[in-house]
Amino acid sequence: MSETAPKRGPVLAWRIALGAAFLLAWQGGVNAKLLDKFFFSRPSDVIARVWMWIVSGTIWPHLAVTVTEALLSFTIGALLGIAGGFLLARLPWLAAVCDPYVKIANSLPRVVLAPIFLLWFGLGIWSKVALGVTVVFFIVFFNTYQGVREVDPVVLNNARMLGASERQLIRHVLIPSALTWIFSSLHVSIGFAIIAVVVGEYLGASKGIGYTIAQAEGVFDTTGVFAGMAILAAFVLLVGEGVSRLERWLLRWKPAAHGAGGDSRDNVV
Amino acid sequence: MAPAIALRGVAKRFPGYTALEDITLDIPAGRFLSIVGPSGCGKSTLLNMTAGLSRPSEGAIEIFGEELAGINRRASYMFQQEALLPWKTVRENIQLGLTFRGREGRAAAEQAAAWIHRVGLDGFAASYPYQLSGGMRKRVSMAQCWIVEPEMVLMDEPFAALDVHTRLRMQSEILALWTGSGKTVVFVTHDLEEAISLSDEVVVLSAGPASGMIGRYAVDLPRPRPLIDIKTEPRFVELYRAIWSDLRGEVLKSYERNRA
Repeated sequence: MSETAPKRGPVLAWRIALGAAFLLAWQGGVNAKLLDKFFFSRPSDVIARVWMWIVSGTIWPHLAVTVTEALLSFTIGALLGIAGGFLLARLPWLAAVCDPYVKIANSLPRVVLAPIFLLWFGLGIWSKVALGVTVVFFIVFFNTYQGVREVDPVVLNNARMLGASERQLIRHVLIPSALTWIFSSLHVSIGFAIIAVVVGEYLGASKGIGYTIAQAEGVFDTTGVFAGMAILAAFVLLVGEGVSRLERWLLRWKPAAHGAGGDSRDNVV
Repeated sequence: MAPAIALRGVAKRFPGYTALEDITLDIPAGRFLSIVGPSGCGKSTLLNMTAGLSRPSEGAIEIFGEELAGINRRASYMFQQEALLPWKTVRENIQLGLTFRGREGRAAAEQAAAWIHRVGLDGFAASYPYQLSGGMRKRVSMAQCWIVEPEMVLMDEPFAALDVHTRLRMQSEILALWTGSGKTVVFVTHDLEEAISLSDEVVVLSAGPASGMIGRYAVDLPRPRPLIDIKTEPRFVELYRAIWSDLRGEVLKSYERNRA
């Protein structure tokens, strides 16, 4: 960690240069026949494919389905996670009872749940939403739990002395305190929500970006696979930027800008 | 009239450790009383029990003749540590006690504005605590405590973290707020000079564990007190010597125990 933040301009220039160098090397490698076009496709082809999908409009219904699934699983998972985290943090007895089950449930690789959810909820969007919820829930749950338990006891006592009722304590002290934790993991959880629904689509669906990628892969269309990935990446970047803005606004009372978010837990999907 | 605060044989025990033993003390309404003692003598524990944040293991605490159960609703508490809600602005923090009492809207906002002015924070109403200096944050805490018009104010070394000059200013401001307010103040400090220059009465606690009261001294310095010059006045020096002769032994004992 350097003490002064790097300057914005040069960093941006170097970022663009790095990306361009990578794409040029890829393009050049394929053109010079160092890389096989069948397996690696070509940036120019991928860009052309993405452009074609956009102007012909074929990609929009798929993107709409994926976005809907991701937002639904994020919202439902976050609400359940916040509620669960609050409940267990305020009721230590319940937390002690539930502890092993929470650990067992969280240690399960989510991808093995996908076939079960397909059976339960069918090929439509809800099987993907269910998969996304299982991912988002635990991230938000753990952060809420931690956030509520780690509230500064002095601040809590101060609010009590100023006459706060239990409900006012939750609203004015516990929720804002937990929010910092919840938001610090928001990037991670929305990213994983997208990953989860795409995996779900990949394994069995009739619409969505994951489905598009699976279709392209089925006919050895590497250009189609990379084009799907590119669209997904653009979408994740866009959402990430939106979350950053929301976070900056909601946590405007914090001295310094946050880092990239909470820890990414392995074994998520 | 019943004393504002009456401690009746109060003791506080933690597992394997007795913090305070047999404290009996009446504090009449309107008095500015300081509690001094070596560090670790249970001064803050005593204050927390008076606030109702913790319960005595033995004995009872009466507030205006009524036994205290739960939070002491007639008291405000000024903490040693940072106690402001970091996610609320200066205005929201100062108004917090009113908000909790369901008093919102125009009147409450005007009252908060008046306090912001009174503690010299005009122009900082929309700032967050992290944007303020330590002294300014203490001013917000002060306004937060006094806006609810408590009958008593409990202060736990509120200025310990401030530099000497800021501390002197804050001490003057506390005296200005208290003078003529009729409020009872219990002021915990380890700084004997601070205790004498502010208070009507100084109580000395012995070194822990099982601290008890070892002396009560009336401070008969006239008011209003010019805090800048008071420390060189003969009567101040006399009082300081008298109380220090008691406190000195306890400080040495505490030092020996901590080293052992």
